[in-house]
Amino acid sequence: MTLSPANPDSDAPRRDEARDAILDPGGGGAILEARGVRKTYRLGRVDVPVLRDATLSVGRGEWVAILGASGSGKSTLLHLLGGLDRPDRGGGADGANRISFNGRALHEFSPGALDRYRRRSVGFVFQFYHLLPELTVLENTLLAAMVAHGRFRYLAQREQLRTRAARTLEGFGLGARLGHRPAELSGGERQRVAIARALMNEPPVLLADEPTGNLDRATGEAILDAIAALRAARGQTMIMVTHDPSVAARADRVVRLRDGAVVSKEG
Amino acid sequence: MYQALLTRRYLTSKIMPLLAALAVALCTAMVLTVWSVMGGFLAMLLSSGRTLMGDVTISWPVAGFGHYAELIETLKQSPKVAEATPVVESPALLGTPVGDTALINAVGIEPSSYDKVTGYADSVWWKPLETPLPKDKGWDDPRLWNPPPSTDRGQTTLATADQRESMKRGLERLQRAAMDLGAVDPRTGDDVPGAVLGIELGRLNQRRLGGWYEPRHVTFGKDSVTLSVLPVSAKGVAIDVQARRFPVVNNFKTGLYDIDARTVLVRLSSLQEMLGMQGATRVDPATAGAAPGFGVVTGPDGRESFAMPKEVASDPARVTSVLVRTAGGVSAADLKRECENAYLAFASRHPGEAAVPSPSRILILTWDERPAVATLVQAVRKETALVLFIFGFISLTAVFLVFAIFWAMVSEKTKDVGVLRAVGASRSGIAWLFLRYGVAIGVVGAALGGGLAYAVVLNINPIHDWLGTALGITVWDPSVYYFTRIPSRVEPDRAALVLCAGVLCAAGGALIPALKAALMDPVRALRFE
Ligand SMILES: Nc1ncnc2c1ncn2[C@@H]1O[C@H](COP(=O)(O)OP(=O)(O)O)[C@@H](O)[C@H]1O
Ligand SMILES: [Mg+2]
Repeated sequence: MTLSPANPDSDAPRRDEARDAILDPGGGGAILEARGVRKTYRLGRVDVPVLRDATLSVGRGEWVAILGASGSGKSTLLHLLGGLDRPDRGGGADGANRISFNGRALHEFSPGALDRYRRRSVGFVFQFYHLLPELTVLENTLLAAMVAHGRFRYLAQREQLRTRAARTLEGFGLGARLGHRPAELSGGERQRVAIARALMNEPPVLLADEPTGNLDRATGEAILDAIAALRAARGQTMIMVTHDPSVAARADRVVRLRDGAVVSKEG
Repeated sequence: MYQALLTRRYLTSKIMPLLAALAVALCTAMVLTVWSVMGGFLAMLLSSGRTLMGDVTISWPVAGFGHYAELIETLKQSPKVAEATPVVESPALLGTPVGDTALINAVGIEPSSYDKVTGYADSVWWKPLETPLPKDKGWDDPRLWNPPPSTDRGQTTLATADQRESMKRGLERLQRAAMDLGAVDPRTGDDVPGAVLGIELGRLNQRRLGGWYEPRHVTFGKDSVTLSVLPVSAKGVAIDVQARRFPVVNNFKTGLYDIDARTVLVRLSSLQEMLGMQGATRVDPATAGAAPGFGVVTGPDGRESFAMPKEVASDPARVTSVLVRTAGGVSAADLKRECENAYLAFASRHPGEAAVPSPSRILILTWDERPAVATLVQAVRKETALVLFIFGFISLTAVFLVFAIFWAMVSEKTKDVGVLRAVGASRSGIAWLFLRYGVAIGVVGAALGGGLAYAVVLNINPIHDWLGTALGITVWDPSVYYFTRIPSRVEPDRAALVLCAGVLCAAGGALIPALKAALMDPVRALRFE
């Protein structure tokens, strides 16, 4: 079940690695894999190691919950998996301190390829929704498509994209609120907009950072129901971070993050 | 794409950046207005400077040159020359009717050809006027012979048709006298050479707020001025002071203060005589009056006559300049070359003659190269550059304002930057987002500023009038600034330059904040509270 990682000695990263990665069918193995990942923050002169040896392999179509106390480095790991941040420099022997997507090492991606990776391969959902206050619900959703396509290709297929965004939002029960601003929505509604935005470009992997952390229990359940339905309908691969064991219990598999390392736990 | 959408949304939802746009607008409007007014002022000076000068002058100051009629004929053969006229210029002392003395420039002219070259007739001041000057609301200009009955003058001095008719005839007489440069001696009825004075000369006329003049100390045709000139020999030695009285027959106004305050026009022949530049024959002094019998000789036919001195040579009449006007469509520089060629041909016909200076030494200048105009124009240009520099420098505050506002906005939008990076926006895309927004602010500001400047410049005189009547503020006093209206001219290329500079300023102010946003670490941006 180990997927041969990209040969570390291979040529310099090619420009289209991210795109190739998307197109790569990848078989039935791990779609996203972290191996012995280290991440250290520097606070003044003090090094604060947050992740020491985080290893995680997520299979295609899997819903994995990462459970951990506050400050255990869950968000850090998620950012690394999503290509928003890079692990510490230097790979250990036998390909440690590597994150790979469909077998390709993220650290070999050029900045442009990493941008494309975030556009096409992953979708982020945050605890505090992070919608742009000036844009409407529909525009917030379309934002991901605008960034992904660039001006001309976006304009060329604008109607299609709008329809798709509107349909996704309708599916989340937001059909009547397309023209509203985030400030006019409840927390649960905002989070559903954020999920719609994350799904806009149909990424193979959805990364959710405490998606229910800011919601009351009932609303949180509704969000989790929506995520579960998504998985049932599309087989969406999902990595969800939470500090709440009852939320984590909804996932297929739960792993624990402790002392900077991933501890598997029976699901 | 997202940049366009966000720019649009930011523009309509944020107040602070609109203040930046307003600052850009005010700065561009300020610079544009100042430049237009200064540019208009310069253009007006230039066109005023051109009157009474022709397009090109061929001159040999003080001594003058001879055979000018021939030179003029040669010049007129060129299709590029419309007209040429001879002129004598000399420094002179002027005694005014009120007893003042002034050092002035006496100019001898042939009025009709001088008019064809310089538009002299238009600059003659005292003549019948049908409509008042723009600011003369009360029809107070004495040249208005037919004021409406509602006005002061229409009710008092010009109440009857007879009064108006005689006023008009009087003004026409003055106009004719100006074109003739002569007066009729009240005692003998003879024609006497007269003088036309620059309107500002010796404060003989009082300039009023409405831009019109009130004659104060001169009765035209009766009061005289005394002109004293110093004829100079060919070697530059002063011979003797020549003084002569000229009745003042009219005034002229070019619009160039230096000329209007220091120029007196008289007939060419008058000044030639005073300066000894009229034609003369040189005689053998041994033969003059040297014959026996008190100079009476008996001719071959037996008749007696006075002995005439033997002619040795003839000195041609001389002028100090010939003024030339271009035929339509020919530039002054072009005409200057033509004049140089004509003079070369002319001089080659008079080799070795003292009265014809060599072509390498004669002064041939276009009107704007003449010292009187050139120094003034240079001064105004320098002043314009200085004022623009100062205002441009002040306008840099707009750059800092944009910078400060954008810096604050980028901080406020840190989280949005994180989100955009999370959905895959590149660093350059983020930089472009804010830069584009800066450009948008600049475009809005420049457009507003351009419109504002255009409105102000177009209506600068009404606005100024309103300031005068409503608030009692008179910035541009025609009795001080000489022009009755504030000149202004919006030149499209200058406007384009200023507006582009406005946009660039805004973009420049946004540049560093945009880079700051682009260089943000996305993870920190997302964690930002
Ligand atoms: N930019 C940073 N600089 C220094 N320390 C950081 C930074 N970001 C996160 N940390 C620290 O890393 C640890 C893990 O943070 P985080 O990944 O947000 O944890 P979690 O999401 O599990 O609550 C925390 O102790 C936090 O203070
Ligand atoms: Mg966290």
